[in-house]
Amino acid sequence: MSETANDADFLLSSRGRSEELGAWVMAVAFGRDGHGCAFSLGDGTLRLASTEDEWRRVEAHDGAALSLVPDAENGFLSGGDDGRFLRVTAAGEISELADFGTMKWVEHLASHPSGLRAASVGKVVHLFGRDGAKLKALVHPSTVGGVAFDAKGKRVAAGHYNGASVWFVNSKEDKPRVLPWKGSHQQVLFSPDGTHVVTTMQENALHGWRLTDQQDMRMSGYPAKVKSFSFTAKGRWLATAGADCVVLWPFFAGGPMGKPPVELAGGDSIVCTQVACHPQHEVVAAGFQDGLVLMAEIGSGKIVPVAAPGRGAVSALAWNPSGTRLAFGTETGFAGVVDLSKR
Amino acid sequence: MSETSDTTIPVTVLTGYLGAGKTTLLNRILSENHGKKFAVVINEFGELGVDNDLVIDADEEVFEMNNGCICCTVRGDLVRILGGLMKRRGRFDGIIVETTGLANPAPVAQTFFMDEDVKRATRLDAIVTVVDAKNLLARLEDSKEAEEQIAFADVIVLNKMDLVTEDEAAEVERRIKAINPYAEIRRATKSDVPVDAVIGRDAFKLERILEREPDFLESDEHEHNDDVLSMSFEVERPIDPELFNAWIGGLLQSKGQDLLRTKGILHYQGEDRRFAFQAVHMIADGDFIGPWKEGDPRKSKIVFIGRNLNRPQLRRGFEGCVAG
Repeated sequence: MSETANDADFLLSSRGRSEELGAWVMAVAFGRDGHGCAFSLGDGTLRLASTEDEWRRVEAHDGAALSLVPDAENGFLSGGDDGRFLRVTAAGEISELADFGTMKWVEHLASHPSGLRAASVGKVVHLFGRDGAKLKALVHPSTVGGVAFDAKGKRVAAGHYNGASVWFVNSKEDKPRVLPWKGSHQQVLFSPDGTHVVTTMQENALHGWRLTDQQDMRMSGYPAKVKSFSFTAKGRWLATAGADCVVLWPFFAGGPMGKPPVELAGGDSIVCTQVACHPQHEVVAAGFQDGLVLMAEIGSGKIVPVAAPGRGAVSALAWNPSGTRLAFGTETGFAGVVDLSKR
Repeated sequence: MSETSDTTIPVTVLTGYLGAGKTTLLNRILSENHGKKFAVVINEFGELGVDNDLVIDADEEVFEMNNGCICCTVRGDLVRILGGLMKRRGRFDGIIVETTGLANPAPVAQTFFMDEDVKRATRLDAIVTVVDAKNLLARLEDSKEAEEQIAFADVIVLNKMDLVTEDEAAEVERRIKAINPYAEIRRATKSDVPVDAVIGRDAFKLERILEREPDFLESDEHEHNDDVLSMSFEVERPIDPELFNAWIGGLLQSKGQDLLRTKGILHYQGEDRRFAFQAVHMIADGDFIGPWKEGDPRKSKIVFIGRNLNRPQLRRGFEGCVAG
């Protein structure tokens, strides 16, 4: 390895821990209560990771683990292509919330601190309550590509063909507000203030809607599919992957309509594959096609490398709730957790 | 990209009209002792059960790409499923996608052109169409899809041969060849073709398709205008890439809906490698493939399979691409 590569690995080697896990890292999540970090893998297992101790393997799914998010209060939710929707504690204990049957992929998950959980299986988003009871099943016109709650847990949105649907979780009559736009919509996000919904698309583009007047926002021009996006804590910026830099759309001062995005950490024509915004500061972590992981401060554009390139395209990236730890994983099975707290 | 690396997983697409014997062929492939493991993508409303460890339910979800091109349709469910399967890798050697009887194969084929993840991880091995020798002619009369399934096929399993006479079989083969002279026809009873006749064909690769010299039927007999036919053209002199791009681009734009498949091997002026071109409706892809074989004549050839083809116009257009 060259000197620059070693330099780029400084944080990982001095303040982190990494392992070769031998399977595609599908997702990584930290518990909402600050305890536990889990990686989910293409071989159906999870790894409970930390910067201090040995990592623990948990057998979760017969097949691939497709989705992983923090559960409402603590621990994790995991969905697999075996049709099982699981809760996993930070200690690795598994309980089954639902079994949708073989051939039914549990593809997308979301949770909210109020206790709500959502799991999408085909065209249906299943909502579960705090006690694990099934609340309702929301049916969409085509397979759901992503699901998200708003910050208050009042609404849930799903991306699908020709638009996104926004449902009120507690409404008696389940009728969605459909946000139309031609094409296949996948992952979906509410802006933190709840005024915008944004989706990733099959095309190399994002689409957004301003909910107050249903104004459309087209965010296109990406050289690759946008597979990851994340709002900064206060919702001023939407950071996105899919270009050879981190693209940030301004959601203030009338933006993003008519405003050009800011580009960070570009210049070496390697596509950014994952982004994750810091939970408090205007800092974004980014992972690239060549395996490079870095942090960028949005205001100053200052870049700090976290892990060197050369270990597979970054496929998962997450911060812990206090923003002191960053975890990442790659398509070829390399995974790392770095402790960034003051010492 | 034509020099496919071995890390991509081959995908076989099985099409065919309802009752032609698709599922029988699928179960035959799966049960044969070839030591290979397949992931199978079937439709929820399949006729028969499928006996395999890894079966995925698909809901043939076709959507239009948001690029203003109305025939630019893609199977979103396949993008999703193939993407998911790639991440579990190493547990199977190939993927078989069974379509419903009424499915138009274009969106399936286009999925392999249009989606970058699918392109990166998989390769379309072959489109295999199972047809019923007894009923095919009637199907062709009343169904656009039956015709398109033949037009798109790389391999055609002419099934239920026990139900027809030799004369009837010959007539069916003649009809098939008029639509698609490049497909390999395999006669079968109860879908009893060897597995290697339909799997691992690499048939979608242009080189293979065009190396096969079909006994081309220049049929002058009357055909309905909206029947699917194929036409091929050849020029001896080298092609000017710019002229070709301008011509084919315009042609696909204006006639893309009628052109089901277009394939060509081109000799570009001043270039030692062959240029392979192919398109499904308006979606085109091209790349240099290996050099011309020593001693082989360097000539360019293009094949159209589609409806309402105007032979003189296509010939003039192609000949107009010759470098000046």
